[in-house]
Amino acid sequence: MNIIVCIKQVPDSTQVKVDPKTGTLIRAGVPSILNPYDHFALERALDIKAKTGAKVTLLSMGPNQATAVLRLGLALGADEGVLLSDRAFAGSDTWATSYALATAIKKIGGYDLILCGQMAIDGDTAQTGPGIAYHLNIPQITFCESIDASGNQVVVKKLIEGGHQILEADLPVLVTMTMPPDYVAKYPSFMAAHKAQDKTIHTWTAADIGADPSKLGLNGSPTRVDRIFPPPARAKGEMFSGSAVELANKFVEILKKESVLK
Amino acid sequence: MAKNDLTTRNLMLDSLKQYAKNRISFNFIREHDAKNEIPLDILKEMYDHNILGVHLLLIPEEYGGLGGQTTEIYRICEQLARIDLGIATGVFATFLGSDPLNVGGTPEQKAKWFKKIAHENKLVAYGATEADAGSDLVSLRTRAEHVVKDGKVVGYKITGSKMWISNGGVADIYTVLALAPGGPSWFIVEKGTPGFTQDAHEDKHGIRLSNTAGLSFDEVYVPAENLIGLKEGQGFLQAQAVFGYTRLMVAAFGLGGGEEAVETALEYAGQRIQAGGPLSQKQGFMLKLITPHYVRFEAARAYIDWTAKQLEVNNHGLATEGAIAKLYATESGNKAAEDAIQAMGGFGYTKEFAVEKIKRDVKITCIYEGTSEVLEMTIFRGRWQEHLKSRGQYYLSQAAEFDTIHAQNPNVGADSVALGFRALARVLEDCRANKLTRHQYVTFMLGDLISEMEVAAVFTRECANKRVTEGSRFDIATLSTMARVNARQSAFKTASEGLRLILGTCPTINTAEVSQAVNLVGIEDKMRGLIDDMDTVSAKLREIFKK
Repeated sequence: MNIIVCIKQVPDSTQVKVDPKTGTLIRAGVPSILNPYDHFALERALDIKAKTGAKVTLLSMGPNQATAVLRLGLALGADEGVLLSDRAFAGSDTWATSYALATAIKKIGGYDLILCGQMAIDGDTAQTGPGIAYHLNIPQITFCESIDASGNQVVVKKLIEGGHQILEADLPVLVTMTMPPDYVAKYPSFMAAHKAQDKTIHTWTAADIGADPSKLGLNGSPTRVDRIFPPPARAKGEMFSGSAVELANKFVEILKKESVLK
Repeated sequence: MAKNDLTTRNLMLDSLKQYAKNRISFNFIREHDAKNEIPLDILKEMYDHNILGVHLLLIPEEYGGLGGQTTEIYRICEQLARIDLGIATGVFATFLGSDPLNVGGTPEQKAKWFKKIAHENKLVAYGATEADAGSDLVSLRTRAEHVVKDGKVVGYKITGSKMWISNGGVADIYTVLALAPGGPSWFIVEKGTPGFTQDAHEDKHGIRLSNTAGLSFDEVYVPAENLIGLKEGQGFLQAQAVFGYTRLMVAAFGLGGGEEAVETALEYAGQRIQAGGPLSQKQGFMLKLITPHYVRFEAARAYIDWTAKQLEVNNHGLATEGAIAKLYATESGNKAAEDAIQAMGGFGYTKEFAVEKIKRDVKITCIYEGTSEVLEMTIFRGRWQEHLKSRGQYYLSQAAEFDTIHAQNPNVGADSVALGFRALARVLEDCRANKLTRHQYVTFMLGDLISEMEVAAVFTRECANKRVTEGSRFDIATLSTMARVNARQSAFKTASEGLRLILGTCPTINTAEVSQAVNLVGIEDKMRGLIDDMDTVSAKLREIFKK
């Protein structure tokens, strides 16, 4: 079985601030990490590898620095990596990005299962995975918390409003993964990190994958980000404690004070 | 296999950070600190190949290790120190304990013992210190006597005692320095060898998560094959060969401990509202308690990294540079931790916050692997020889180099470095001409001034070369501003302190003449713009550490 896991390097969003004046992200001193959803998807791919001996190929698009997340994936146990790196890709929205990734996946070829994180924490769009499935014209299952693959099939647990579904699908299929709240990401041992240096990372340009330049970058992107802004700060709530009667009285008193009740 | 590249180093650091985040909470540390207890499970996990395998860095590749470069080992040491200096000490003791083997072991000895350490997750301890022999190993009393069979030395009987040995009570393998008939020599002693006992764990001021104990040897028999290098009398050489290296690691401890303390204080200051705004917005607060420490941390980082790169080329040696790195970084870290408590006021003084513990911990870095005073003496001796050999030109020629740097890059404080070096050269020369180094105090203080100037020089030169030190979170513009601040203060300290020493010890010297010669006024003149520069650094700190 051949599994391709799409991964992205993102700024550690727990440390990113938005400049309220310019609406741009303050990236100074913010470390880059592997998108946590992708990290989870990769670990599930490696579980399948452990069980079935599948080959796991990592695919990422980004500048050269994105090699760091490919190395992390290789250190965790993936077999090889592909980095799409070219100025032609710069400025791509989710549509152009999924076109580029799908084109690269066609070049890698022979895939059975494509795993993506549900979304990247720097954009929260959740569109790239489905976009890839569209461009490859294969089925997709999104928002899955677990996956098991054997033979020619996958079984997934897909989260839905108020519960979950257990779904089966034939290969090839694209699955996007979301992690349970108690998920703790695995990191490689020092020796594994060291050995990952000897694994191959291919760097491909737009020309290498035979992508149509008009479908890449800003030209190939039908959407534009107008502006980014943090939600306005909400006034701090006031907490009261006491018996039900005291609290009800307090509540009425405040509503009167605020002229909601007369 | 190739040497670890920067990406791999960063991966290792991330793995270590994530491990600590998941397994070593502040409450966990606090409990162990209160109980004075080493978290052995954590150390064993850190040594576990499948979890981290930190100790593999010190083991050469041919014996199943990672053959870590000095750079990655110091960066791991810095990160370990940020987690907890006690745990860091426990890991470091294995590094240190393995060093005699690394330096002096035969290939067969390395194969045997490194494989054990690598694959069986063994803790190692370094047994050198005795009641009367700290850095002064000449006073060594532990003895190793020949055991002869059929006219051949088949083994040794070791008798004596060691004190303050890190991992002393918990290690599996000990490298022990003892006086053999042929001179001081290192021996490998395994736990459980008859006659070998470990004393109770010390009740220490800090690093309470590390085990420290005395060792007693009562005619402990070890086979001749446990003599490291199979040749007696190599012990001091083997010990000294790694001082440059081991002291660099402790320098990284001082840096990491200090950074953790000040970062905790700065985070607090971003949230603590006083007189209408957060403390971190107050100029006086930042310039007095926070900003100068970051300047010194970055100077220390540049110097440690530069020395590490030199050690990677030269393998061993660089005793003076290792001493400079340790003196500067650990004293800076210690002062920073002290100020971190002050910056957090009453909160900082309680055990609810980490800075109080870090302050207790980081003090050890000014003591173990050579006290600051021993280092000052080492640095003084090393450079005094250079001063004499070059007939006073040693620092003057470096001053000329910094004139050139300043001409090409006027924004990195190279002018102040040049002035500082000239002042230092003059102070050393006056000390020589007037025999002032007969005062031991003068030699200590000169060691300190030399370290101050040499660190400033490296930091400034790295900035002039537009090199951002690995692991630094600042851009080159901020680092250059920091280098300017640092160079001015180092030059000022050198000139003013140098004058104090000369005038304080030499009644015949002419005050006006010597004062002019060290050019204190010229150095003071460079202070223009200093506070603006420090404000710039403060603003950057607020940006980077804003929550």
